[in-house]
Amino acid sequence: MTSRSLSLQNRYLAGVLSVLTIVVAIVLVAAPAVLAQQRLSKRYPCGKNVRIELKNVSGTITVESWNKDEIRLSATMESPSAHVVPRQMEDSLVVDVMGDNRGRGDVGDVNFKLQVPPNSSVDLETKRGNISVSNLRGVSVRAHVSSEGDIELANVSASQVIAQNTIGNIFFDGEFSRGGTYEFKSTKGDITIRIPGDSAFRLVASSPARKIQVGPFWNNGFKTLGDGRRLVGDVGDGRSSVSVTNFSGQITFMRR
Amino acid sequence: MNCENCQELIHDLLDGTLSGQQQLALNAHLSECLDCANVRQDLESILGFCRDHRGEYEAPPNEKAMWLRIRNVIEAKNGALQATPARRSLFGWLNRSWELSLPQLAGLAAAIVLCVSLATAVGLRRLESTSTQTTPRTLEASAVSDRVWQQQQVVNYWNQRIEVNKVRWSPEMRQTFDRNLAVIDQAVNDSLNELHRNPHDDLSEQMLNDAMNDKVALLKEFSDL
Repeated sequence: MTSRSLSLQNRYLAGVLSVLTIVVAIVLVAAPAVLAQQRLSKRYPCGKNVRIELKNVSGTITVESWNKDEIRLSATMESPSAHVVPRQMEDSLVVDVMGDNRGRGDVGDVNFKLQVPPNSSVDLETKRGNISVSNLRGVSVRAHVSSEGDIELANVSASQVIAQNTIGNIFFDGEFSRGGTYEFKSTKGDITIRIPGDSAFRLVASSPARKIQVGPFWNNGFKTLGDGRRLVGDVGDGRSSVSVTNFSGQITFMRR
Repeated sequence: MNCENCQELIHDLLDGTLSGQQQLALNAHLSECLDCANVRQDLESILGFCRDHRGEYEAPPNEKAMWLRIRNVIEAKNGALQATPARRSLFGWLNRSWELSLPQLAGLAAAIVLCVSLATAVGLRRLESTSTQTTPRTLEASAVSDRVWQQQQVVNYWNQRIEVNKVRWSPEMRQTFDRNLAVIDQAVNDSLNELHRNPHDDLSEQMLNDAMNDKVALLKEFSDL
């Protein structure tokens, strides 16, 4: 074995060792944080038309449907001192992170995942964090982010939908029911609404930045007000009411 | 003995402090005078009642209040008596004979002229300002600024609460709040600027209201953190 091949072997070994050292260091740093996280998982038997009320402070909320007459709630708490005490009442489940942790100071992020019957109604609130709701056809869906966080409502068919945030995008992919009311509002973020081509609704869309695109739903009956800052008009028989307000982002309608 | 002397001595007779001679003279009059005899009988019955019910008198239910009422009545009467001379002196001042010298008269006339011209100038200025304010545009602008001012008071209140609680928040939460408040403030300012450019713009007014309501909502929601 020549001295040249020996030095190459040493270099290779040194490289492997340094990579291993970095991996070990990462694991050691990250492990306490992972271990410190608390997990909560509970199941609640319920009827088909249940109502979920969740008030979070910070963290994500994900709600999706499953074909069971029960609710499954999973929560990951960043701080071990965080308390989550769900309360089941008649046909409803209430989670109030704010109330459960009053006087405890900052409890960090609490990330929720809920699996609920398809006909559930949900009322979701958080001061900060994303909200995602999918495959629901209950009476009402409300998603409210006080400050920043994206809202995604996918495959939702409810007669009342409210989605509001300050900074962040809002995406609605679903159907407008006859006689239903739909309200989408953001101060800074894009609002995208994806609905079937045969949807019928009365639209009031306001955007001081004049960024309103109704795309395939445009017709000559639309009235433009305030130099294009507001668009008012009926699509089809206009049986449902849709209000979209965006201060500085884009409003876009798309066909499903 | 006449009736007057008799009635003065009846008290002493009943007290038993009269001399024998006085007692004889008094009894002689009482046997002849029916009025004085009645007075004696009345006094005798009063004294007898008092003697029989000695120590049974009840104090009034609220003695302090009674004395206070009495004192108030006395003070009120004294006050009325003291006020009377002041009124008299005012009437006296008005009824005095006014004798003014020529320089005094000229000074008085100059003072009256000055007061009248000042009052006229102020009145005219007020009339002018009222007539300019009544145009619809100014009214609308003042209504908007009033609303903004009112909202600002609400904002100030919630801001104070936020400042108290903010120290407990995590740095991330503080940054989030500040960033979002800045975004809403931008929306408020944009709407205000638009409204200044066109005070009749209903849409800008609605957007301004919306933005200000959003601001109050954000402050409220973060104030209980």
